[in-house]
Amino acid sequence: MAENESTQNSVPPPLQVAKRLEKFKTTIFTQMSSLAIKHGAINLGQGFPNFDGPDFVKEAAIQAIRDGKNQYARGCGVPDLNLAVAERFKKDTGLVVDPEREVTVTSGCTEAIAATMLSLVNPGDEVVVFAPFYDSYEATLSMAGAVTKSITLRPPTFSAPIDELRSLISKSTRAILLNTPHNPTGKMFTRDELDAIASLCIEHDVLVFSDEVYDKLAFELDHISIASLPGMYERTVTLNSLGKTFSLTGWKIGWAIAPPHLTWGVRQAHSFLTFATATPLQHAAVAALRAPDSYFEELRRDYLAKKSILVEWLKSVGFKVFPSSGTYFVVVDHTPFGQENDVAFCEYLIKEVGVVAIPTSVFYLNPEEGKNLVRFTFCKDEQTLRSAVERMKEKLIIKKH
Amino acid sequence: MEKLSSVAKALAPSPIQELSFLAQRCNAINLAEGFPDFVAPAHIKNAAVSAINSDFNQYRHVQGICDYVAQKMKEMHGMSIDPLTDIVICCGQSEAFAAAIFAIIDHGDEVIVFDPSYETYDTCIRLTGGVPVYVGLDPPYWTLDPDKLEKAFTDKTKAVVLNRPLLWQHSPHNPTGKVFTKDELEVISEVCTRRDVLAVTDEVYEHITYDSRSHVSLASLPGMQSRTVITSSLSKTYSVTGWRVGWAIAPRCIASAIRNIHIRLTDSAPAPFQEAALTALRSPPSYFETLRSDYESKRDCIFELLVKVGFKMLFKPQGSFFVFAELPETCSLSDVEFVEELIKQAGVVAVPGAGFFHGDGCCSRRYIRFAFCKSNETLSAAAAKISELAEGDGRLKIFEHVFAL
Repeated sequence: MAENESTQNSVPPPLQVAKRLEKFKTTIFTQMSSLAIKHGAINLGQGFPNFDGPDFVKEAAIQAIRDGKNQYARGCGVPDLNLAVAERFKKDTGLVVDPEREVTVTSGCTEAIAATMLSLVNPGDEVVVFAPFYDSYEATLSMAGAVTKSITLRPPTFSAPIDELRSLISKSTRAILLNTPHNPTGKMFTRDELDAIASLCIEHDVLVFSDEVYDKLAFELDHISIASLPGMYERTVTLNSLGKTFSLTGWKIGWAIAPPHLTWGVRQAHSFLTFATATPLQHAAVAALRAPDSYFEELRRDYLAKKSILVEWLKSVGFKVFPSSGTYFVVVDHTPFGQENDVAFCEYLIKEVGVVAIPTSVFYLNPEEGKNLVRFTFCKDEQTLRSAVERMKEKLIIKKH
Repeated sequence: MEKLSSVAKALAPSPIQELSFLAQRCNAINLAEGFPDFVAPAHIKNAAVSAINSDFNQYRHVQGICDYVAQKMKEMHGMSIDPLTDIVICCGQSEAFAAAIFAIIDHGDEVIVFDPSYETYDTCIRLTGGVPVYVGLDPPYWTLDPDKLEKAFTDKTKAVVLNRPLLWQHSPHNPTGKVFTKDELEVISEVCTRRDVLAVTDEVYEHITYDSRSHVSLASLPGMQSRTVITSSLSKTYSVTGWRVGWAIAPRCIASAIRNIHIRLTDSAPAPFQEAALTALRSPPSYFETLRSDYESKRDCIFELLVKVGFKMLFKPQGSFFVFAELPETCSLSDVEFVEELIKQAGVVAVPGAGFFHGDGCCSRRYIRFAFCKSNETLSAAAAKISELAEGDGRLKIFEHVFAL
């Protein structure tokens, strides 16, 4: 065997990574999770459940594995799943789409977003996002060479500042990236807001990439897909996934729905990003999407119960809690506790109280805008939520000024 | 169409997938697509079932995969890899490659690729703004010409500081079945080190080599580990191409960059299959011996058949589960025409080789790729159907086919 240099012993080569990585760093979630483990904190930061998905979906996956469905699926999706996605979309929005030409299955919604941006955005194009935004949007946009333009949703209502949007849109604007129900605020875009956004998009010939992964976790309002508004389907890519609705976030089954002239590009990018999506899990997703209405009703009821536990107690321990209409997140103002900013507060919360929240400053282009806010999640079993609440009751101290 | 990015507009749909649809429509025996039609190993399937039942279904990173991969690299190649920092688990080798390219390539960077090559590399490189530069391997044995390689490095590439040329190497090789020799790897490593170039390798067929030939990883050569990204996956070794679990191995800072890209591309590989990967990677040596010997006998069968029916078979595959057969000189059909006739007349589908060539077209229309990752029943049935088309001298009638005017 030839003499080998170990990576530890050799002189590290100068950094050879691409310029596009300047904006990339380890995510805040990884940092907070490591700290949480070190301190034995209860994790209400990371947005995935600590309970599992429904048996009928898991059994469908097991059956698919046993039936030998373990080889490459068709790149754009197992035909049955494309069909089930189209059927579900029709049920939810009334829109009839062609599963063979307008649905693309991807490895999670994350990949659907990446494929959409890489195929439909040119370097130098402007893309508008609403801050606070899911932290990977900005990084993925920079991979596509896009210029990110941000409009801030402000507490207490986080309503969409349409006038600001109107003045921001220019000839260079390629797309608006919409997320409703919205992570991290829990805001749901209203019909009026969507109408206003739609009319600007039509007027300026702008696309919409609509991330709707929490659409089944809509509590205060009905979820509206912007693609269903007049004049909008032809310019919208609707993005969704299995993970949040079915508590199977590790399966990575997502999809993009768009008219053929946009789907074509998404499919090309997808085929070179991951080539195909896990076959047996796609088959199981068919069973999931065809779940009876009772499944979705029970899902909402369960999450509503969890939300009440958390929100009620967050208020009672002294946080200023902003109303969250959807998702399993709630954003609160932490300033009553006297910490310098959101990151400091979260570190204090982990070390002194033993609970994890996520500082929201990473969800803004300008981190200053998030310094008063932190995000809690309630996608945990009731026992966990109650334990977290107990710890906060015991140990959170309001600093009187 | 005007809404598409300029990159997306330049991309074309996959010819391999299109042929697969034709094969389905004609109910043809599929020796085109590179995935098995036999069942995946039971012990690995059971592990996946168990993972799903044990609630391994949320986002996760299974560090044990990195530990086993590092261990295997030590056993097979004598390389010391830090499982905590040097390995990134991805959704298949496909995503590992995409993430590696995005991590390393800036717009305008040149990437040297050996021709013929798997179609995906070209478009993935272009998606990042990179420029593929092809170095043709010389038929019939697909040997590497050191001069050709040297000439592929341009003055312009050397001069511009921000551009960093890169070399892409696939061994065992799709579509030819070539395994790069130690000498050839030394030529490559010498030029990479001298010109300070990175290398990215695709080693998905690392356990599928024949005639007691062992796969040598480019990164195991002197000076190479610190400048090589290795990509591989479970897919071909464990016959689970649909599970999408792969990895990239690279020096710490590059692995970190790949990880950051991967997190934004897909966030994580499917959780239950990561768990099952632990079982797969722990398979005993007998598993790999059987894998190799089974594929070797399939290779021998199909190779003999192709020789018998008149293909020009100078090169016997040394690895992977593909054989790259050359049409005899007497055959006036192009590769695409031949494949279409084979589907219509024999009900067997293979892949025209042209799609794998990107350089000059001297031999690009003369090759057909057959996959033999199929059950013995499938291969026998295909052999029978092909043999039916043979004339008295044993050669295929199709070779003499002349299209009616």
